Amino acid sequence: MDNGMDSMMDTYLYETNSLLDQLDEMLVADEKEGDFPTDDVNEIFRIMHTIKGSSAMMEFTSLATIAHRMEDLFFYIRDKGIENLDPAHKKELFNLMFRSEDNLRAEVEKVEKGQPLTENVEDFVSEIGNFLTKISNGEGAVPGNKSGEKKAEKTPEKTDDKKTDTAAEQPAVSSSSVSEGLPQDPQAACFIHVFLEDNIGMENLRAFMIVNAIKECDIETRSYPPDLESNADTCSTIIENGFYLAFDSKDDAKKALDILQSQSHIRSYQEIEQPAPAPSDTAVQETPPVQEGETETKQASTTAAAAHPASHAPVKQNLISVNLQKLDDLINIVGEIVITESMVSSAPELAQLPSGSYDNFMKSARQLRKLTDDLQDVALSLRMVPISGIFQKMNRIVRDMKQKLDKDVRLTIIGEDTEVDKTIIDGIQDPIMHMVRNCMDHGIESSRAERVAAGKDPQGEIILSATHTSSEVVITVSDDGNGMDPQALLKKASEKGLLTKPESEYSKKEILALTMLPGFSTNKQVTEYSGRGVGMDVVKKNVESVGGIISLDSEKGKGTTITLKIPLTLSIVDGMKMRVGSSIFTIPIANIRQSFKITQEQLIYDEAGNEMVKCMDSFYPIVRLHEFYRIDTPVTDISDGIIIWVESSDRSFCLFVDDLLGQQQVVLKPFPVYLNRLELKNYGISGCTILGDGNISIILDVLSLHTAAIENR
Amino acid sequence: MSDEIKAPEISQSAEKSEKTQNIKRCLTFESADLPLFISTEYVVEIINGHTITPLPLAPSYILGIINLRGQILTVMDLQAYMGKEPVVFTPQTCIIVLDIEGIQLGVVVDSVRQVTDIDLSYTKPIPVKRQQRLLNGMVTLEDGSVLMALDCPALIRE
Repeated sequence: MDNGMDSMMDTYLYETNSLLDQLDEMLVADEKEGDFPTDDVNEIFRIMHTIKGSSAMMEFTSLATIAHRMEDLFFYIRDKGIENLDPAHKKELFNLMFRSEDNLRAEVEKVEKGQPLTENVEDFVSEIGNFLTKISNGEGAVPGNKSGEKKAEKTPEKTDDKKTDTAAEQPAVSSSSVSEGLPQDPQAACFIHVFLEDNIGMENLRAFMIVNAIKECDIETRSYPPDLESNADTCSTIIENGFYLAFDSKDDAKKALDILQSQSHIRSYQEIEQPAPAPSDTAVQETPPVQEGETETKQASTTAAAAHPASHAPVKQNLISVNLQKLDDLINIVGEIVITESMVSSAPELAQLPSGSYDNFMKSARQLRKLTDDLQDVALSLRMVPISGIFQKMNRIVRDMKQKLDKDVRLTIIGEDTEVDKTIIDGIQDPIMHMVRNCMDHGIESSRAERVAAGKDPQGEIILSATHTSSEVVITVSDDGNGMDPQALLKKASEKGLLTKPESEYSKKEILALTMLPGFSTNKQVTEYSGRGVGMDVVKKNVESVGGIISLDSEKGKGTTITLKIPLTLSIVDGMKMRVGSSIFTIPIANIRQSFKITQEQLIYDEAGNEMVKCMDSFYPIVRLHEFYRIDTPVTDISDGIIIWVESSDRSFCLFVDDLLGQQQVVLKPFPVYLNRLELKNYGISGCTILGDGNISIILDVLSLHTAAIENR
Repeated sequence: MSDEIKAPEISQSAEKSEKTQNIKRCLTFESADLPLFISTEYVVEIINGHTITPLPLAPSYILGIINLRGQILTVMDLQAYMGKEPVVFTPQTCIIVLDIEGIQLGVVVDSVRQVTDIDLSYTKPIPVKRQQRLLNGMVTLEDGSVLMALDCPALIRE
């Protein structure tokens, strides 16, 4: 648990700090301009959303509160459009933004130093609120049911401080007043009597959370008072007399003691055996005092910790950390060696050697080839890390949300030792987190009764799986919850004005894809975790930025499955080489559906004279690469060259090239910095690679090629 | 333009020793029939005989990219960048690899002459300043010949 917290803390600090850095950069640049571009408004909104979410998860309430208010503010601004803000307000907004950034930073610093967080951020929060009221001119109320949320958020903050205060004092041992009021539960073999810390507030809910934590570990227990969650009056009872947990067996109680150790806000606890037929007084004498119980459980917990890793601990390895740049350099050099090796062993001069020495040479050359191949494999595997790091983080999210949303859900993880390139890991962490949150919040039904009524297991399930194919990692996030209702989605999309054609023309796949448009959210309630429609469009953007494809499948009433297909590594592409004039282009094989020859007669023309071709009952536009890139080639007759049918996410079209040259794994190299000014990426050119003979091939990006050649035709 | 530049200015040799010296090691070369020099601080190496891969849709002064021992290097035609005809490749044509403020760039020139020490304190401004995009000064050598200073940072300016 502690280790988990530590690494989570590291990630949290790293993430939050880099988001704040990003925010700072953006604010400074925008202030110079004196204006926020719409993109930045969205970005700030997203940053605040992320900080809010992760801070709430780590229980840093002051951070979460500030970020939440800023999110509200930017939600409003995004909704109304930044251009509708008058300049005086904008200026004020900048000041407010910088101050809130400073506030957030100050809090993060406190977290870093382990100091208690600011208890009261009300002043600043109300300032943000005032500003929001000002710009909205009182026309719509502040979004979100503020007062209710605030109350809920304030309490844990207080307790955090109290906790640090009381932590210094010795936990008071109370063993005298235990005896009375042992609950009547003849089945129970054993009780645990728990006292919470003083003045923590909402004692009943805290007790309930503790009970839940124990139940989560598959331990049967009953709490006394039983109606902890629903009956707020139990608070006073718990404050005075603590509460009891009843267990059917002593083993269960022992396990529960371990769990209690990791729970916060507990002042003391005591194990009490069921006073057989005898009166309760004697039982109390037999019970060990608290300290003894604690030492005992400590021993138990260490053995438990030793036993656990076998079952579900993350894959641990011997690791050293290496600068990523050094690794990249190594991989580059290895790439060069491989190419140079093939240049040497296929040099035409070798043919002039006498046959005896030629054979000898080839023998050594083959040996060298094998070694360089091995070297390449090892070098490439260096950047690969298991995906377990991300998956384990989801455990925590599911666990926390389960309690907050009061849903009974288990997370099943499959294939957590699947290895993925480090850069990709960094890129898909947020998307996966969003998707798991969505599953928890919207996917799984809100009550057990609902699930039982639908004939399902009362416990919901979220499955997170990762598998390898030859060139991709396939990650799926699926839940067995409500699923999506295509009609409801369509209605919602039309309300939001997101439809581009008549409703009747949408296929199911297209309707589901609507959820990935910016600003689409079907949940009316804004919650701490999700529900403002930032989710899926950001997910899609992130996944596509690492070259992945996202697809969504949902059956109403049965659940939703989201599948991500992501290339194994960013730097190595399985490519198809093709020739246009004297240039050689490479297209990732993953994008190619088919290649074929056609004749002049099969060409179809539209009004503007654009060429099309029919494949499998659909018509696709043809882009002649030699025309688009203005390359001289003798092959201009459609029947002389070859048609390649390509596809990327939902765009599909055909390319016309001179000839196919064959398949090859290529190492993707970015263009030199100098060429950034040409913005080649906007013209479908994503990078280049060095071929076996030392020549350079240009790598095409099908998606941006479509944008450049067809959408902007 | 080249006529203008050839106008000799030999008269300062007398006051040479008086001025503070600012001697820099410079590479002299020819491009577009102009005798040019740059400080060797910018020069990484001089290469020739590489196959240049053209880039689609690039402006004419960007000849393309080459594979320089595994590094991708942009190659620019200086002559075309000055708004003249594209360079004609001859056996003397070389690529000077420059590192300008961290950005590597290959520049194709007609021929490379030599590395020599030039006292930059004698650099004179070019009379028709407005029309100079890439040149930022001229200097007379002891043998009386005139060289133009190529402004390297101007090459990477957008």
